[in-house]
Amino acid sequence: MVDIEKNGEFVKVEQKFTSWRDLLKPVTEKDFKPGFYHYPILKRDAEQLGIPYRDWDPLEPDWKLPEGWKETFLNKFKELLEKNRQFKLFMDICVRCGACADKCHYYIGTGDPKNMPVARAELLRSIYRRYFTKVGKIFGEWAGARELTEDVIKELYYYLYQCSLCRRCSAFCPYGIDTADIVWRGREMLQSIGTVQRFSYISIAACARTGNHLGLLPGGVAGALQSVAEDVYDITGIEIEVPINKKGADILFVTPSADYFATPHWYVCMGYLMLFHELEERYGFSYTWSTYASEGGNFGTFASYELAQKLSHKIYEEAERLGVKWILGGECGHMWRDKHQFMATMNPPPKTLEDPVSPITGTYFENAAEAKIVHIAEFVADLIEHKKINLDKSRNDHWKVTFHDSCNPARGMGLYEEPRYVIKNVCNYFYEMPEHSIREKTYCCGSGGGLLADEVMELRMRGGMPRAMALKHVHKRYGVNYLCTICAIDKAAFPTLFEFWKLPVEVGGMMELVGNALIMSDEEQERELDLRGNPLKKNEE
Amino acid sequence: MSLVYLKLFIADVLPYIAGIIFIVGTINRIINWAKSPVPLKIPTTCGQQKSLPFIRRTWEDRLDSPYTMCETIGRMIVEVFLFRSLFRNTRYWLDKQKGVDTRWLWLFALLFHYSMLIIVLRHLRFFANPVPGFLSIINALDGQPAYVPALYITGILALVALFWLWARRILCSRERNISYPADHLILALVAAILITGNLMRYFFKVDLYAVKEVALGIVSFHPVSAAVVNQIGWIFFLHLSLVCITIAYLPFSKVMHFAGVFFSPTRNMPNDNRAHVHINPWNPPYHGISWQEYYEMYKDQLDEIAENGYKVKPEV
Repeated sequence: MVDIEKNGEFVKVEQKFTSWRDLLKPVTEKDFKPGFYHYPILKRDAEQLGIPYRDWDPLEPDWKLPEGWKETFLNKFKELLEKNRQFKLFMDICVRCGACADKCHYYIGTGDPKNMPVARAELLRSIYRRYFTKVGKIFGEWAGARELTEDVIKELYYYLYQCSLCRRCSAFCPYGIDTADIVWRGREMLQSIGTVQRFSYISIAACARTGNHLGLLPGGVAGALQSVAEDVYDITGIEIEVPINKKGADILFVTPSADYFATPHWYVCMGYLMLFHELEERYGFSYTWSTYASEGGNFGTFASYELAQKLSHKIYEEAERLGVKWILGGECGHMWRDKHQFMATMNPPPKTLEDPVSPITGTYFENAAEAKIVHIAEFVADLIEHKKINLDKSRNDHWKVTFHDSCNPARGMGLYEEPRYVIKNVCNYFYEMPEHSIREKTYCCGSGGGLLADEVMELRMRGGMPRAMALKHVHKRYGVNYLCTICAIDKAAFPTLFEFWKLPVEVGGMMELVGNALIMSDEEQERELDLRGNPLKKNEE
Repeated sequence: MSLVYLKLFIADVLPYIAGIIFIVGTINRIINWAKSPVPLKIPTTCGQQKSLPFIRRTWEDRLDSPYTMCETIGRMIVEVFLFRSLFRNTRYWLDKQKGVDTRWLWLFALLFHYSMLIIVLRHLRFFANPVPGFLSIINALDGQPAYVPALYITGILALVALFWLWARRILCSRERNISYPADHLILALVAAILITGNLMRYFFKVDLYAVKEVALGIVSFHPVSAAVVNQIGWIFFLHLSLVCITIAYLPFSKVMHFAGVFFSPTRNMPNDNRAHVHINPWNPPYHGISWQEYYEMYKDQLDEIAENGYKVKPEV
């Protein structure tokens, strides 16, 4: 047992060590701890998405599983094995070397042995061995196989939703076993019997219906963008016209809907509007927002292939309808796992799109040649390199900044240097967190992969512990007071996490810092406030 | 008398049974993996992607986040021969709340696998007549000539590394937690093979000419006679039958990772997703609302946006 300090208080992490037999013995509703299990899916979302629905409570002994659930589950298992080489392979080749064990932030924070990535995968592997391998059929438990019972379903529900699909373990695995992929398949199987969580399905259903996770209708999106523009006016005195659903624009801009709805995402959205306005004034940049494709993120990637495809499809369809040349994507984590690795495979890009060439610098984004979607950090880094925008770094002098590599842009895309390049060009004080917690070894915020639900708060706070402790290190050492991240879930999760761990550090995005530093050509007075309304440091002196 | 039949069975029959099970089993596994489709390109990107010309990519980035075919092959080579991912290993110290580099697992895994490789190569000299030059060189390099017979370093190293790996599974509580009987079984089998092999070489010596005759007999399909097997001590047959049992067990065990690692899509695919779109052979059609349906649903609000000239202005 280890006590972890937070300003005089302590959080206990009790590490439990059991035996291989306990690994195969399912935990049930009796062992479910509050703060660790999710609420079940809502009726309206299940009905909209065609998921079998029943009224059940995870804490009741009877989960009222639908008739023939075992067969449905195993058939889905078989289908997924046949359709996914990686899944079949990951079921077969694990040697249980334990390299992944203490790489999972949930394992570190909870000490629960079943939160080791290897144990999480064994939840499904044990069923795989029993029903799909001869050795498992014959030797049973001795070969690490187990029967599929109702209790096993309960355990799957409990632990498959304690993984944020961050893929940190996959970076350390000698065979590259991707726990995120295994968990994704497992959740897909659970979905076939309607035993899924509430949180992400609310957003999936909303996005399938309205085009964004928040369920904002077109007027709501327009109204939100108008409010962002009003806030920009308050700071800069510039009236920005925001193009929306505009046909014939050069570029379609998509970003997570949280960017125009939540704080601190809001300041990032102000940054987007300011940058695009400046480019429009100086270079005739033409872009548009969309209401039909008003969501960059994709909670479908937490659930199943089909749901992921359902949500990402709209972006290409909208790009084709509006006749844009290519797509620019905002700051988001899992969005970029989807946009970089999934979207173009799930939805063939329309032929009407053109080569992604920056209209300002003429740079051809060769790495986005076929998918035609460029990350905002790539776009802005290119502008800065070609000196196309004027920046005043000193406007960020009140921030001592560190950068949190979000899981998916890091391990699912390889976007490490572009945001750092931008940040170093827009602020004077930049410090890296310890080496074991950045770049490909970065820790999750603890709330990704569908875990941003309030009912799993303790899990989230514990899972975020390694990140919080790494931040505490630079906070104490360099006085870091601003954590910059390029993920919408990070921005939503970190303020709560840092409050819990008693870290007085603000959370924001890269584009907020760019917005602060950006010298706008039609700005008449000297800027006095940053985008949050804080006085700028030079004015204080 | 019956012992001779047992010896003949082990020398003349068992290797074929084991060999057939191994070959058929392994090919089966590989075909099973190879014929299943790869729906998505999912490399784990542990280094900087290729993007803009002024964003620097080091050679490590190229290997950890490959963009071209050559870089991807490079990544696989480094992964398979140098255990790149294990080299990255850290250990999280809860009391200090930080991760610290730990490369013991990498070191002993590397020692074990390379020692086993050299041991297998050394054994090939029994199956070839005359012995090819490179096998003699390996033999000479491995043998420590200060002792008679020359002490094979790998024979000892493999055993040491194996016991280190095994001790880790028994003594470290976390690893004990995740070790199935199957994990101990394979370690026990390999340990038994190594121990009988070492005992045979240094303590219970056997007639190597007769052993070579058995080995050549196996590969040339000429079963040896009772006269030959009677010249060889029992420990050889113990060693050989353990080897055969292990070889036959491999296709059903986790040892298949030796073949599986080549198929792992998080390692063997380039990180060029947006430049070259991957095709999923079973990609289903889109089921969801189209723009037209969306327009019908929210006609009023969308028309209002259109009336305002497809733009929103701040009210100031």
